Amino acid sequence: MAPQTSVIHDIGYQRYTGPRLGRWYANRSLYEHSVRAAFGIGRGAKAKIFPWAIIGIVLLVAVVVIAFRSISGETLMSYRQYASGLSYPVMLFLAIVAPELVSRDLRDRTLPLYFSRPLARTDYALAKYAALVTAVLGLLAVPQLLIYIGAVFTRTDGWHGAWKELGDLGPGLGTTLLRALVLAAISLLVASLTGRRAFAAAFIVGVFLITSPIVGILSVLGNDTIKSLAFLANPMFLMLGLEQWIFGVENNNRLPIGDYGPVYGIAALILLGGSVGLLLLRYRKVAA
Amino acid sequence: MSTVDLQHVSRWYGNVVAVNDVTMTLGPGVTGLLGPNGAGKTTLLHMMSGFLAPSRGTLTVDGAPTWRNPDVYRSLGLVSERESVHGFLTGKEFVLASAKLFRLANPEEAARRALALVEMEPAQDRRIETYSKGMRQRIRVAAALVHEPSVLLLDEPFNGMDPRQRFHMMDLLHKMGDDGRTVLFSSHILEEVEQVSGTVQVMVSGRLAASGEFRTIRRLMTNRPHVFTIRSSDDRRLAVALMAQDSVAGVDIDATGLQVRASDYGTFTRALPRIALKEGVRVRRLLPADESLESVFSYLVGAR
Amino acid sequence: MNATVAMITTRGLLGRRRIWLLVPLPLLLIGLALIARATGAEPADWGEGIIGGLGFTAVLPVIALIVGTGVLGSEIDDGTITHILSKPLPRSEIIFTKLGVATGVTALFAGVPLFIVGLIAGDAAVAFALVVGAVVGSLAYCSLFVLLSVVTRRPVLVGLAYVVLWEGVLGNILTGTQKLSVQQYVQAIVDALAPSDLLHGNVAVPLSCVMAGVFTVASTAYAVQRLRTLSVAGETG
Repeated sequence: MAPQTSVIHDIGYQRYTGPRLGRWYANRSLYEHSVRAAFGIGRGAKAKIFPWAIIGIVLLVAVVVIAFRSISGETLMSYRQYASGLSYPVMLFLAIVAPELVSRDLRDRTLPLYFSRPLARTDYALAKYAALVTAVLGLLAVPQLLIYIGAVFTRTDGWHGAWKELGDLGPGLGTTLLRALVLAAISLLVASLTGRRAFAAAFIVGVFLITSPIVGILSVLGNDTIKSLAFLANPMFLMLGLEQWIFGVENNNRLPIGDYGPVYGIAALILLGGSVGLLLLRYRKVAA
Repeated sequence: MSTVDLQHVSRWYGNVVAVNDVTMTLGPGVTGLLGPNGAGKTTLLHMMSGFLAPSRGTLTVDGAPTWRNPDVYRSLGLVSERESVHGFLTGKEFVLASAKLFRLANPEEAARRALALVEMEPAQDRRIETYSKGMRQRIRVAAALVHEPSVLLLDEPFNGMDPRQRFHMMDLLHKMGDDGRTVLFSSHILEEVEQVSGTVQVMVSGRLAASGEFRTIRRLMTNRPHVFTIRSSDDRRLAVALMAQDSVAGVDIDATGLQVRASDYGTFTRALPRIALKEGVRVRRLLPADESLESVFSYLVGAR
Repeated sequence: MNATVAMITTRGLLGRRRIWLLVPLPLLLIGLALIARATGAEPADWGEGIIGGLGFTAVLPVIALIVGTGVLGSEIDDGTITHILSKPLPRSEIIFTKLGVATGVTALFAGVPLFIVGLIAGDAAVAFALVVGAVVGSLAYCSLFVLLSVVTRRPVLVGLAYVVLWEGVLGNILTGTQKLSVQQYVQAIVDALAPSDLLHGNVAVPLSCVMAGVFTVASTAYAVQRLRTLSVAGETG
């Protein structure tokens, strides 16, 4: 046989010299992919069960509200009450989705794949955060809009009524947005600490579940100041206090926060900023 | 001395048939379960080791079923494909725990012997999570051998082993087989099977394509020509004479010699010396070119 | 009960980082009780909150969830369960051992602080009643979560749904579901053993005892059944 010589064959391979869709496109793709992953789209049936079960619950409540309104003409719950009253399903949703978004990448060690692309570490964290916020917004805002449409059809005062109804919807959507921003930040931070999805879910629920009775305990002890500030201990109650300060009291469901509204505002800001900041810090330090 | 008996074993998942009507009997000695990835080897091993129920058919070890029968593990040792081990235990603790769980009369002694067998004594007091892949494999083998089972099942035991470890493991399996134990190991790497055992069970797409000693299997495949390489004192003359034979399917001649494709092994091998004698050609070299397990394997996989 | 399985399970549970994240919970209970005592508030005021609200409603179920799913679920998840199952052990022995470890650890992490809080609230009888409640609750919760570990691939999520949605939300809205809630059984039993203003049961005591027993026995029996037919998936799992 003839001696073999080493040669590189020319099979027409060329370097790509066309336009590259840099960092912005990478970010957008990660964001889109994460939103889809949150709802189990593009994955098997099993990934859809848990998130869509929650969606089913919130939609069911919305349908009941719409039906109640159309039958009796009275509001079962306002838009704001809808957003704050469904805090348990929202908490479960966060416990399911946040680990899907970040814990999986930690466990499967796919972070090097992301970071070897034109994607800064902070980009990754922010894209995931934006995706989770979007998911929670979708979860609550879509039913709220449905309730709005249902309400408008029930009302008898035409355009004027629709406009008035919008005045109620506005704070409702605002409540939803605030909750989405703050709660997603906390949940994502907790989830990013572990690669095991089950523990991340348990810890996220644990944070909400353990701090909730503490509010009750604190409001029994101590003087009036502590009673007013007790609600800072639990994220859900903190949001309630914040909303009361911004949007005012509704239906005489007053949360006894006294004059400490601004404190809730500052606390919410610190919680949000701190969580996002720690999240960014976490991904700057995590080994790729 | 134990027998593992499979009768018409099938396993399906909905529309996907993973194992299709497999009947085999394994006796003492080492048997290789050979097949490409996805052939159903792991599924079959899971069923043999009592971790999966067959959709149809029976699997027994010395007459006792493997499914829902924890007592079968007294005579069965299993080394699974997944690498998972309790990492926080030391090697010695793991093997000792295994011995205790097998309810052995003298677990410490059995553990010591098993560790010596796999040469893991130097590292026995280190936690398993600090072991290399090959070491983990060996410690799992030790835990599976500690009760001296008469049947040993190993799923891809040479995965990730370096040549020296592989050699050592093969040696161990040979010893087990020579002791009269029934050893079955699966592999998709032909060299491993070739070196460890002569007996193979070949699985392709869930079916048992062949059983037995691989050279014998080769000869049984009469619909595929056997290829021989011949060097002689007069290649061309021999070639012409051979072409006249019915048992010869084709002849190639080149500078290195003759390549003869024979469709019937028996007839050809009897005819060759006669022809050479008649033509006055001296045959210097006669080699079967395709009796390796690889060619057997590729014929079986290709023939469908 | 099998000593070796118990050893492996306990070391697997306690040797990992996650268990130390459970330590703050008992400390929190004790700490809050001490603070309450220091501020001079009446136990009748803060008892319901700390013991009932935090202790039995939040801390006990969460610890039971993490421990109960950890004793079996994590082994099934990472495949090390084959080392336990490929031995001539009756499956019931395996389940009982793991359940015992889970109940013991949970009762320890939840019962000890509750006992101390009971003492801080000033009453030894109440303290003992709380321990009994914690043990009963640990047993019932853990048997449920061990069952979930065998039956489903995501036992923590299902367990969370049970604790949060079934016992939490529905339990507060629909009193009917309280009859099927471990939390309610525990509260009823504690209230019966040491009646006080600290805790109020909503379900009849005999029913609670019976149902707690039914939960435990049924879950354990079914878990043993399912473990006998546990199949191992391929390498992708």
